[in-house]
Amino acid sequence: MDKCKRELKNALFTLLVLSGMFVISYVLQSIFHTQRFTSDLFILGVFLISLKIEGYVWGILAALFSVLAVNFAFTFPYFAFDFIAPESIASAVVMLIVAVLTSTLTTQIKEQEKTRRETEKERMRANLLRGISHDLRTPLTTIYGSCSAIIENYDSLKKERKIKLLGEIREDSEWLIRMVENLLSITKIDGEKVQVIKVPTVLEELIDATLVKFYKRYPNIEVHVEIPDEFISIPMDALLIEQVLMNLLENAVFHARGMSRIDFLVKREGEWAVFYIMDDGCGIMEGKLTKLFDGYLDREEKISDGNRHNMSIGLSVCATIINAHGGTIGAENRKEGGACFSFRLKTEEDDE
Amino acid sequence: MSNKHKILVVEDERKIRSFMKAILDTNGYQVVTAGDCVQGEFMYCSHRPDLVLLDLGLPDMDGMCFIQKIRLTDATPIIVLSARTEEGDKVEALDAGANDYITKPFGTAELLARVRATLRNHRYEKLEEGDSYGKYVCRDMEIDYEKRKVEVCGEEIKLTQTEYNIVALLSRHSGRVMTYAAIIRGVWGSADAGSVKKLQVNMANIRKKLGSRPGESKYIINELGVGYRMEDEG
Repeated sequence: MDKCKRELKNALFTLLVLSGMFVISYVLQSIFHTQRFTSDLFILGVFLISLKIEGYVWGILAALFSVLAVNFAFTFPYFAFDFIAPESIASAVVMLIVAVLTSTLTTQIKEQEKTRRETEKERMRANLLRGISHDLRTPLTTIYGSCSAIIENYDSLKKERKIKLLGEIREDSEWLIRMVENLLSITKIDGEKVQVIKVPTVLEELIDATLVKFYKRYPNIEVHVEIPDEFISIPMDALLIEQVLMNLLENAVFHARGMSRIDFLVKREGEWAVFYIMDDGCGIMEGKLTKLFDGYLDREEKISDGNRHNMSIGLSVCATIINAHGGTIGAENRKEGGACFSFRLKTEEDDE
Repeated sequence: MSNKHKILVVEDERKIRSFMKAILDTNGYQVVTAGDCVQGEFMYCSHRPDLVLLDLGLPDMDGMCFIQKIRLTDATPIIVLSARTEEGDKVEALDAGANDYITKPFGTAELLARVRATLRNHRYEKLEEGDSYGKYVCRDMEIDYEKRKVEVCGEEIKLTQTEYNIVALLSRHSGRVMTYAAIIRGVWGSADAGSVKKLQVNMANIRKKLGSRPGESKYIINELGVGYRMEDEG
């Protein structure tokens, strides 16, 4: 289907350029009474077509057509073919050469672009891996160290001290669990081609389940929810979207300094359900807004303050999941102060 | 003490087995363990446990077969332990006859709560099989099976037939997760393409009537993608 459309578009483009050249040639010919421009113009046309369209076919077709057109309309005898004339053969050869060379060049450039993009992706993945390994090492060190301390000094350590160490172990394990959940989500999707398995999910139930989980982890933080009254069912992988909501909520908890209120809105805009998660905290630094979902945001500066809650990995997981659902995600600063993250999902499955 | 509940833990990871045994031991259960399905079946036959905790990712045989084998002869409650990546298996296990599930990793409190609820539930189910009298009370909600009436804080909640049937079904299995398929079977008898949606719409109405708000559900807990669970009696 897509291919058909593309070919049609290519044909239209070719036709448009060639007829344009034809008209211009004709006009110039009637003004200057010479055919000096005709060949040049058609060569330009062939060049444009080869440049714009991938592959050789259309360029060569255009070249052949141009030869015929020039031969037919602009060389003596007018409006009749004459293939014996040496200049028409020469111009045919020239046009063919132009078409083939230009096509080769553009194809090459496009290939290079593709390789470059792939290397870039590879690099991002390597960066992410490096970052994750680094992030995993810290809590593992705590867990290992604390456990050893307790085992080796079981009798000399005071009870409270032991409880404190064990509490830290638990805290870090919980953090590791969340991290692994996130990574699992990415590997479940990975690669753009993999389709998530979507099941119709009731909006209200999704939000309820997410909030129950959220309140379990952060009993002291209240989330103000506002959702449409109507029954809305959205096709999605509920666990993945739950993860997105959780990440965005946790992001507000950990990174919105001075936050006192979290608002969670869902609105219906046509066929889209739009989710907003807003806080009234410190907002997002202007320079970071665009890179927020990239995956490896200023890792260096963050580790140092001991606050490792991985906004970057969490948000890039969100972006991966939403994109795989065919939705969009974005972030902005609110006028009233604080940040607003939003994403949209289709409420109906595309007809299949 | 021989009146302790006996629990069989079938789990291939030695360390998980060891800490589960520690938790259950210290909380007054008698624990037997098995590392694979074959051993599990053997232990099951020789010990006749009151409850089985079954890992779904066992190396030798699919846990599902184990459930089916037990269900051929016994109604012994089974709780499956599932990792997050085994979502589909979980629902399948529940439909095959498992009573409940716990997602790994889990905490002590969660494990004990599930075990307690399942054991108590099982006792009730045995007593009340097919009864149409008695009452279910959960905090300020009361269900009168005889009058087919649901009250919250002494005020009657007007439910349609279908809605009542769903609530009643869930309450009879309170504390236990009921899959969409199980509820549909119980309420409508047979399933068709639109059944799940029908159930979800009915649930939305029930939630509204019970005054639930997202994040603070009352009495009925959503198990996303699996089904619903009525809060335990008490």
